[in-house]
Amino acid sequence: MRGRSRSEVQRASRAALASLLNLTFLPVIGFIWLLWLYHQTSEGRIDRYHVRLGIGLNLMAAVALLLATGLMIWLGGWQSPWTWVYVISYFTLVHSLFILIATWAMVRAWSGDRLTRRAPR
Amino acid sequence: MKYQSQSVAKLYFVAAIGLFVGQILFGLIMGLQYVVGDFLFPAIPFNVARMVHTNLLIVWLLFGFMGAAYYLVPEESERELFAPWLARLMFWIFLIAGALTIVGYLLLSYSDLARLTMNDMLPTMGREFLEQPTITKLGIVVVALAFLFNIGMTVLTGRKTVINLVMLTGLTGLAVLFLFSFYNPDNVVKDKYFWWWVVHLWVEGVWELILGSILAFVLIRITGVDREVIEKWLYIIIAMSLITGLVGTGHHYFWIGTPGYWQWLGSVFSAMEPIPFFMMTVFAFNMVNKRRREHPNKAATLWVLGTSVMAFLGAGVWGFLHTLAPVNYYTHGTQITAAHGHMAFYGAYVMVVLSIISYAMPILRGQPAANEKAQVMEMWSFWLMTVSMVFITLFLTAAGILQVYLQRYSDSPLPFMVVQDKLALFYWLRELTGLVFLVGLVLYVMSFFAKGETVTLAEPETA
Repeated sequence: MRGRSRSEVQRASRAALASLLNLTFLPVIGFIWLLWLYHQTSEGRIDRYHVRLGIGLNLMAAVALLLATGLMIWLGGWQSPWTWVYVISYFTLVHSLFILIATWAMVRAWSGDRLTRRAPR
Repeated sequence: MKYQSQSVAKLYFVAAIGLFVGQILFGLIMGLQYVVGDFLFPAIPFNVARMVHTNLLIVWLLFGFMGAAYYLVPEESERELFAPWLARLMFWIFLIAGALTIVGYLLLSYSDLARLTMNDMLPTMGREFLEQPTITKLGIVVVALAFLFNIGMTVLTGRKTVINLVMLTGLTGLAVLFLFSFYNPDNVVKDKYFWWWVVHLWVEGVWELILGSILAFVLIRITGVDREVIEKWLYIIIAMSLITGLVGTGHHYFWIGTPGYWQWLGSVFSAMEPIPFFMMTVFAFNMVNKRRREHPNKAATLWVLGTSVMAFLGAGVWGFLHTLAPVNYYTHGTQITAAHGHMAFYGAYVMVVLSIISYAMPILRGQPAANEKAQVMEMWSFWLMTVSMVFITLFLTAAGILQVYLQRYSDSPLPFMVVQDKLALFYWLRELTGLVFLVGLVLYVMSFFAKGETVTLAEPETA
């Protein structure tokens, strides 16, 4: 990835924030913000990377959290205590892990880096 | 080390680790007693093992905080400790008094201990976590005052940094709030109300100042990031801790007979208590990401990052799980509470003490960092203890959810002991995971004795 400008880093940071907000206080709204940011970014730049990362992470979270727990409730039954043992424990842990990954992504975006590799200076 | 008097910290750190091992052994005893009720009965009944486990935890963490203060305050103040002899004297007084108290719990019945220590002159015994005889509590006050005097004089006559001042504020708060353990009203509502002025305002109040300042100190040394950046973060973190945590005390006032408005105040303010822990996670990750040096102490870096994550999970997330009054109505006093309590204490306070020990102990022994073999062992111990604590928490959470449903939520609730029987699987799993934790702890202790090639610091640490 080529070196990045200040405005690219700012957009990357906003994308990471949108991703984190979608996972926490502003579900759906955060995702819409991410989609809107996609159109403001360019291919091969750090801002597009973080928008893509945010979208991917949140889609995975939707599957892992909503779909998986929905399946647990459907298969286990609403009334069974064991359903809630699995759902609450699973949701709490997995949701927290996604929040931590999104937080790390935000920290990396602030310095204009990818999630796991440094961008060339 | 920069100042000779920092060496007193080593005594405190060694005692802290020794008492930590004791705490875990008694934790394992209780874990087994959950499922084999007569294990070690009548020699060490459950209630005695519990007092030993919780009191050892608090005392070893206090040793850890004092050691941390004796290490970082001279360095931050840029002067020797005011009275190293006093620090050494208080160490032995605290250790001997603490040991005698534990021996008292184990060898005497609690009522005999109360009689022997003349509890009826000023009754303070009989409350959870504050089971110590009055005379021990008075000893703790003396030790705390001497400690504060020593640290305070060092700070006030030296360079005043944000880290120093936040640490001193936290430690002063710790000492002042402990005085409420002497206030023991007959009225049960007031008794519980003020009990939380020690417990909550410690762990969700002033101890967070201590946690933040220790993290900030280690991060400055390890990353080389500008002091101003780190100290700005520290100010905001501690501000949020106090803004949320002070009125957040109300989440302990839901059901004890206080006015109903506490359900609103406690819920709203305590729901925000994860914020400072989240900020600590962002802070720690950001500082390490922006680091200006590759410090050879990789283990300490891992501990610091791990502290921020586990504190956020244990104190923040798991705390939030049961902090709202409508939820707490069902979960209060269940294994959900135990799940949160274990991960929160480990994540926030155990890990921050292990972080400062990881950073400071090699320096106290004359090296910039532990040798590579020792660090590898230490990092293995980090993962073993941390992952096993996550599983302990998950098993207790599962047990708690089942307990809540069967004992409280269900249309036909079952009695307590009937439900406990149904949770046995989770208690066995918890115990097995606890054994893994012990393996991690043993490895941690062994890491201090591992021999290997000395590491060097590429550039001097600057403050």
